[in-house]
Amino acid sequence: MQMQLPVLKRSAKVVHGKNDKLAIQYMGQEVTLEGAAAKLFDKMLPYLDGNTGIGGIAERISESPGRLQSFTQQLGQIGVLAFKDADSGERITGEQFYEIHRAYVNEWLQPIYDHPFWERVVTGKATRAQVLGFAFEKYHYIEGAFEHMAIAAANATPEMMPHLARHFIEEYNHGDIYRKGLQSLFPNDLILRAQPLPSTRALVNFLSESAARNSFGYYAGNELLQMTENTGEEKDSSSINDFYDAMRKHYPYTNKVIDAFIAHTNADQKLGHENVFLEMCQSIPPLTRTEVDDALNIVRSMAEHLYLFMDGIDTFYARFPTIPRAPCDLLSE
Amino acid sequence: MGAEFGFRRIYDVAPKSEAGVALRLSDRQVQLGTREFDLYEKVAEQVPSIRSQKEVAAALGMDEARLGRLLTALESAGLIYRADAVPATLSGVELHTMFNKVLPSWLDEAFSHPFWERMTSGQGSRRMYSGWLIELYHYTRNANRHMPLSCAHTREKSIKNMRAKHYAEEWNHYHYFLKALKALGFSEESVVKSVPLPMSLALSNFMRQAAREDILAYSICSAVLEGTTVDRGAYNPYYETCAKLYDLPPESIAPIYAHLDLDVQYQHSDLFLDILSKVDSIPAARASRILDYGHQLIEHIWLWTDSIEKYYAVESNPMPRPTFNKLLD
Repeated sequence: MQMQLPVLKRSAKVVHGKNDKLAIQYMGQEVTLEGAAAKLFDKMLPYLDGNTGIGGIAERISESPGRLQSFTQQLGQIGVLAFKDADSGERITGEQFYEIHRAYVNEWLQPIYDHPFWERVVTGKATRAQVLGFAFEKYHYIEGAFEHMAIAAANATPEMMPHLARHFIEEYNHGDIYRKGLQSLFPNDLILRAQPLPSTRALVNFLSESAARNSFGYYAGNELLQMTENTGEEKDSSSINDFYDAMRKHYPYTNKVIDAFIAHTNADQKLGHENVFLEMCQSIPPLTRTEVDDALNIVRSMAEHLYLFMDGIDTFYARFPTIPRAPCDLLSE
Repeated sequence: MGAEFGFRRIYDVAPKSEAGVALRLSDRQVQLGTREFDLYEKVAEQVPSIRSQKEVAAALGMDEARLGRLLTALESAGLIYRADAVPATLSGVELHTMFNKVLPSWLDEAFSHPFWERMTSGQGSRRMYSGWLIELYHYTRNANRHMPLSCAHTREKSIKNMRAKHYAEEWNHYHYFLKALKALGFSEESVVKSVPLPMSLALSNFMRQAAREDILAYSICSAVLEGTTVDRGAYNPYYETCAKLYDLPPESIAPIYAHLDLDVQYQHSDLFLDILSKVDSIPAARASRILDYGHQLIEHIWLWTDSIEKYYAVESNPMPRPTFNKLLD
């Protein structure tokens, strides 16, 4: 295995501090360098592009190649540097993938948790259209299981088929739970005909497209969505309950809608799906680097689509506040 | 109540003045007094509900008879209509006539995003212009994900041929955008290997959805997209203004004009009429669904623009966006 072409991880951020201190932020961690190490890293930084060899860097910054080799290897072990020529062609097991997946997902979910929409609801600043829109879009998204979970089951690889079949059979009717909540406010026919936002359609369609072409990648992406649900753990439960309490307080007309949200959470928890992804990972053959990248591309894109889903509710209902979103007919336009 | 009424789409509400409020529909402008407008807004909010007419009237602070009179007045003004007035069927050509009437209002809605004003007033940036072009490249290249699919799912031979010809004429137009991006300093590899924004991908996924469901639903979406490129008078000032404001080289604009001219030359904007001319009769439910696809695409374009503005406004966001690579990320 070669280790000659160091590259700073693309999502790593270098923050210069006082007194020759320097921090490298990556995946929620921070590596601090001081004194000589900070100075050396700073000199190397312009060449950590994966195209310049250790020897070349040493020559350009007048340092000994041995010192650079040892320094870059240490940073590589910490994880902030990679080596472009380090591909050993090794496959990774499903269980290893599971760990990698969790690390990235925790990072990729952060912008969703930080979206200002949550704060707007909790402080009572969200509009009626945004709050009801949130309920409608959650309904459309969950109802979308009919599309993506069915497509996933129908296109499953042999290893994934039992998992994806069970997944569809257990969850296809969860949209009805949300619909029941909306029925406290709107006629059933109107709910059934209502149109999702483009951003919700984007999420459902992305799930469906992934399901059709890559069973494992699809479920890895789906797992990211599952990780945002209330797992029943104390920390998650209390923050979600706080959110619902604030919603009931500021928007009392959503009372039964929130009951439906909670009923859905309970239904999900009863299914005991929290270990399903680990079981899947344990049941698949080892993955090539290309397969890992493909699956993780789906997962990252799923996080971006989930962010879009949230942002769509916030932005679109603020600009176009009609709710419910009745479809066109021959006289409406 | 509410199932017996439909609400006309309001495309614009002019700011309140002493004279009242002007509501722009696709075929008329309705002037309401300030008090009437407030009442209209309340009706639009309260009527689609599970409550009876009596309960809705009470919520609006009036009795049933007064609510009835108000609804009749709104119907006379053209703001609401009775659901039983929707025709049972119409011909393909009639649907096209309806589409043609509403398209300008739809396009106004699609391009009502503040991004355009920002770009032409100098509040944008070269980076934002380039980002928009990158997404346009992806959107055009992704035509290959939906145009052939529409052929595969079409049953009628004549329509199949028209869709196939359209695809044959359009499939490689992304080269124009690649050329423009190269003139802006992007390497071919960085563009070709990049990933689109989720909303850019969503556009082609939505077109794929339409292609699988109904060739007429797909064709209205295609017609909406063609509708965005037929008017040189509308798009030239945008490019020319951006070129001046953001110091864009002429080589980055010329391929885009060449592409737009080619679209006009092919007369793709007539394709929807050609297709609908082959359809004698369309039941109301299907025709409504087709229109709905067209309008959903308009909303996609608005949100697509929103995504482009938000992503490329952040200087630290990668441009073009590389695919995820476990080794490098």
